[in-house]
Amino acid sequence: MRQWRIIAKEAMTRASIIGKFLCLLHVTDAYVLSSNHVLGPSMLPTLNITGDVVLVEHLSHRLGKLGSGDLVLVRSPLDPKKTLTKRIVAMEGDKVTFSLDSTRSHNSRSLVVPKGHVWIQGDNLYVSRDSRHFGPLPYGLIEGKVFMRVWPPSSFGLWGE
Amino acid sequence: MRQWKIIAKEAMARASIIGKFLCLLHVTDAYVLSSNHVLGPSMLPTLNITGDVVLVEHLSHRLGKLGSGDLVLVRSPLDPKKTLTKRIVAMEGDKVTFSLDPTRSHSSRSLVVPKGHVWIQGDNLYVSRDSRHFGPLPYGLIEGKVFMRVWPPSSFGLLGE
Repeated sequence: MRQWRIIAKEAMTRASIIGKFLCLLHVTDAYVLSSNHVLGPSMLPTLNITGDVVLVEHLSHRLGKLGSGDLVLVRSPLDPKKTLTKRIVAMEGDKVTFSLDSTRSHNSRSLVVPKGHVWIQGDNLYVSRDSRHFGPLPYGLIEGKVFMRVWPPSSFGLWGE
Repeated sequence: MRQWKIIAKEAMARASIIGKFLCLLHVTDAYVLSSNHVLGPSMLPTLNITGDVVLVEHLSHRLGKLGSGDLVLVRSPLDPKKTLTKRIVAMEGDKVTFSLDPTRSHSSRSLVVPKGHVWIQGDNLYVSRDSRHFGPLPYGLIEGKVFMRVWPPSSFGLLGE
């Protein structure tokens, strides 16, 4: 009987240590720095189609330090279970001019990005579904800023711009 | 010298216990259950104008178990630093008919809630700014479901419909 109690107590202690570690890991991952695997053709040539591992920091968007040209990880407004990686093209109050289909026609539309929203586009305009399709993105859906690539090793490092 | 080392070690041990506790508290608060102070006239008579303390659970929206009639805490699409408390009136795919100003005109508009969005309205239609003003809300901005009021004590109990 006493032996089971000792084993149970040991198990509880170990489980609580693991629990505390996972807790700390999660808070760091969600609020400081995380790594993400991003893939798809919508951000060529900046990101590879076969997939890159990037580092995402979760501080800038909470401090209001995002701006045009930043690569961001956002929650998709069309499917809340998915995240997208796109570039901020315009902040709230900016005027944005865009063409839905660059290959077919030359007509373009203009609008002003409303308060509390940003305008995101993929670098590969021909295959990216972004604000040109689903409209301005509410700022609250931004999850972090992509600042560095760590895989593949040949493309390790920051991007220039 | 040795005394300072002992004090520093004790301080680190205590700081790490406090850190682990805050971590656990935060993860519970963000992903399981939290309390919120909500105030304003937009949800009369369901919620008081002078302020209520409500319990918010953060599980249902991640499991996709939200539906029409649920009271939800959402991040404002107009100001990402604010949260709003409103009621879900229609889910994605539903048709919603609304009138911007019930006192002034009888004209109403209809639209279908797009995929990945919900339609929220305050119970007090005359003073609430909601989806009738800023459009369908992306599902990703929902933070939790309000299910119970704990303050003031005279109104203690479950909320909902």
